[in-house]
Parts: sequence; structure tokens; C-alpha cells
Amino acid sequence: MRTEHIHPIRNGRHVRPQEEWKEIIAIYLYLAGMGAGSYIIGTLIHWLGVTLNPPSAPSITLFGYLLDLTKVPIFWGPIMVSIGAPFLILDLGIKRRFMYACLNPRTSWVARGFLILSTFIVFGLVLLIKSVLPFEWLYAESALWHIPEVIAFVFACGTAIYTGILLKATKSIPLWNTNLLPLLFLVSALSTGSMAIILSTLGTGLFSHDSGALKALMSGEQTLVVIEGIVLYLYLYWSYRATEQGKDSVRLLLFGEKKLIFWGGIVLLGFIFPVILKNIASFFHGNVVLIFVSGLTLLCGGFFLRLGVLSAGMKEQTPMQRLIEIQYDMRAMKMKGLRERVVDEHGTRTTHKDTRINDKAQMSNDKLLITNTE
Amino acid sequence: MEKMLIVDYEKCTGCRLCELVCSVFHTGASNPSRSRIRVIKWENVGFYLPMTCQNCETSFCTEVCPTKACHKDPENGRVVIDQDKCIGCKTCIIACPFGHPFFDIKERVTKKCDYCDGDPQCVSFCDMKAVDYVDADKVQMAKKREVANKFVDLMKQVR
Repeated sequence: MRTEHIHPIRNGRHVRPQEEWKEIIAIYLYLAGMGAGSYIIGTLIHWLGVTLNPPSAPSITLFGYLLDLTKVPIFWGPIMVSIGAPFLILDLGIKRRFMYACLNPRTSWVARGFLILSTFIVFGLVLLIKSVLPFEWLYAESALWHIPEVIAFVFACGTAIYTGILLKATKSIPLWNTNLLPLLFLVSALSTGSMAIILSTLGTGLFSHDSGALKALMSGEQTLVVIEGIVLYLYLYWSYRATEQGKDSVRLLLFGEKKLIFWGGIVLLGFIFPVILKNIASFFHGNVVLIFVSGLTLLCGGFFLRLGVLSAGMKEQTPMQRLIEIQYDMRAMKMKGLRERVVDEHGTRTTHKDTRINDKAQMSNDKLLITNTE
Repeated sequence: MEKMLIVDYEKCTGCRLCELVCSVFHTGASNPSRSRIRVIKWENVGFYLPMTCQNCETSFCTEVCPTKACHKDPENGRVVIDQDKCIGCKTCIIACPFGHPFFDIKERVTKKCDYCDGDPQCVSFCDMKAVDYVDADKVQMAKKREVANKFVDLMKQVR
């Protein structure tokens, strides 16, 4: 009885994504990316000198000082990042040792990220506090303040890209080890960040819903969402084409166990809902509630993007596994060749290809020792 | 003389005794999930492959470790994890292509094979001698090189 040869190893292979980094890391990546992105957008608004709505800006009195909260809705990014960073500590095995994590910045991206994030948090929080305090000796209008602003801006960009590089640095997971991942996370950080800025400025009345600045921000945001979609497509396409494990990862994300995260979380919440709701909102003359709902779904989509990429990461095969797979292949081909030779005696034709395969199988049947070094 | 673990998958029967004795020796608990050796199994074709740390020459785990806890021993070139420095960030587990360092759920740090201080328990308990502890002398190195070359040829032909 002749049946088609099914590859039992490849077909029977249990598709198992990594389980070391889970939701906690996704929350951290999301908060760090979103906070940094919103800080980038907020600083750009600040530098461009867009007129804010000071009369509606809230202010509170603390210890007899009048705190000016005008700039808080565009400068709150560092707070988000400093909420996100403890999640990374939460994931550690021994949490009280988290300060050790900066000891090896020469080769390790985790250590570099520790330094980038803490620099950004320090400079960002200093600038946020400076924008709130009313003291005259701070010389809030002084040009010298541009220096920490530029530093914070650069480190905000660094934080947004770093979230991708952290994953890119693991060379054994093909889904993560591409240059498109930092780009994807940067674009996603900018789009979620600018949406968060839109929500916070709209919510505090800093921009009214028909002001020119908000409209510019909205159109920029829509462009970013479109770019994010294109980058996501390219990213999945390249990962699918790159290696077998990349293919498995993309399949797992698109059609496998994680399809709810991808289609429900990323596509529906991150792309389709916001676009539809924003279009409806434009018909209803800037309905604020609709804009808020679309913004919140987009922010959720940003989180699910990180979660999806994290949870679909799959390790490349070890060389030994690959060797065994190949050897099994050879053995199967040899059996097939033998079978065809038997058939040949009964008058059917054998191809040259089969004999060549037999030679290869002979070679691989020599005993191969697997030793314990590379 | 430096020694190393050699794995012969053709002898392995997949009994997983090595995992058990490893965890008993290191942790006192007969819990294979805390062992430092793992047998990868393909039950449908009967292939069993015990995997330990390969002590790679360019090791990804030492590269990504943020604390330098996972480092190369300058004396013998083996990869060692310093238990007092490890913070349990699991980055090395993700980076290793062989899936080797393991996160110890009880001690909350990452563990790896340390050859049981010169007397590997998996070797002394393996009846099939699928795992063997041999001198890394010239003969072995030549054998290894031969295997590696054969493997490279094989890969070239398949592609």
C-alpha cells in the first residue's frame, strides 16, 4: 500500500511560543512606548509654540503657592514611563536586586535600557515639575532650559525605539530579530502617544475640539495609524518569509491560538474601530464622546500589538533538532527510493533525482556524534 | 585535562532518568522541571535528544545578561551563572538557541549545568551511556570537527 509521505517531525511538531516574557512585559513595553511617544509629541507642540487655552487651564493652590497646570496635559509622558518601569521589576525573579540590572551596559540591551529609561524619567520629571512650579528663581523662560529639553527629547526617542531593540536583541527568535520591529514599536509609540495627547488636551480643555492645532494633530495621528498599518504588514510579511520559525510565529498569530489577540485586539481595536468612530465623529461635528471612545480603543490596540508580538515569539530550532529532522528526511527519502526501485523492476521508470538522494542518505547514515560544543 | 559532556542521541532511550537524578542532586527534590538537563522528545518517530549547556564560544546568554551574573569562567571557558548576582530576568533563557538555562521556580534565579563539580550525575546514572563525560583532548576535538564538517556538507546539500 503506497501512501503519500507525510513529514512526521515537521507536521507533528508542537508549535510552542516562548513563555518567559508575558503580559507584565507587554504592559511595560506599552506604557514605556506610549509615555515616550506622548512626550515626543508634547515637546514638539511646546517647541512649535502652539497657543494653548490658558483660561480653561486648571490651577491648584498648594502650601500657598499657585501651581500652574497648563503644561501638564502635554508633559505627562514621564509619569507613564515611571509607572511602566516597576512592571519590569515585578517580572524579575528576585525583585530587590533590580539595581544590579545596570552592571553590563557594554553588551546587554536590558542594562542599556535601564540607563536610557532612568535618564528619561529623571529629565522628564524635572521638566514636568519645572513647568508646574511658579518660583521666579527657576527662570522658566531662560534659554538654558532648552538643554534638558533636548536631552529629554532625545532620550524619549531612545525609549520608544529601545522597547523594540530589547526584543530585537534576542537573536534566537526570528519573529523579533528584525530591524522592522523597532520601527514598528516607534511608529506605534508615536500613534498611541499622539492619541493620548489628543485625549488629555481635549479632556482638560487645553485645545477646543475645533481649534486648528487639534485638527493638525488629528490628521497627523491618522497618518501615523496608516503608516503603522503598513509597517505592521511589512513586518509580518518579512517575518513570514524569513525563516520557518518566523513563518510558524506569523501563522500562530494570524490563524492559530493567538488569532483573537491579532484580529480582535490589534486589527479591530487598534485600526478599524478608531477609523470608523473618527469618521462618525466628523459627521457629528466633533462629538467629543466618540473621539474619546475611538482614542481609548486605539490605546488598547497599542497594548495588544505588544502582547501579540511577545506571545507569538518562537525560538529557532537548535542545530541538533535540525540535524535530526534532516536525517529523518533522508531516511524517508531512502525508503521512498528503495520502494521506487522495487517498482522499477516491475517496469516503471526511476528518476535520476532519487539515486542522488540515496547517496545523500547513505552519507547521513554514518554515525554522527553530537558533541557538546558548537 | 578539561572535560566535557558528549551526547549521543542514538543511544538515548528517553527514560529521563538523567533529569531526575540531576534535580535530586542539585535541589534535593525529585522534580525534573528543576533539573539542568532536558530530553527533547519526538515520540512519533522515536528520537530522543538530551540537551545540556553547550558552553558556546560566542555565547548569547553572557551577551544579554544585564548583571554579568552569566559569564565565562576565564579558567576553562565554561559559562557560569553567579547565583548571588542573578536577578532572574530570564533574558538568557530567551536568548539561548538551545533552550538551556532554566528558571528555578523555588529559588527564583536562573540555573544551568555545572557538571556537578566534576562528577556529572546524569553520566553515572545513564545505563545507555547516551550522555558521557570525556576528556576534551585532541581525539575528541578531531571527532567533533569531523562531525561539524559533515553537518555543514549535509546542510549545503539539502539547500
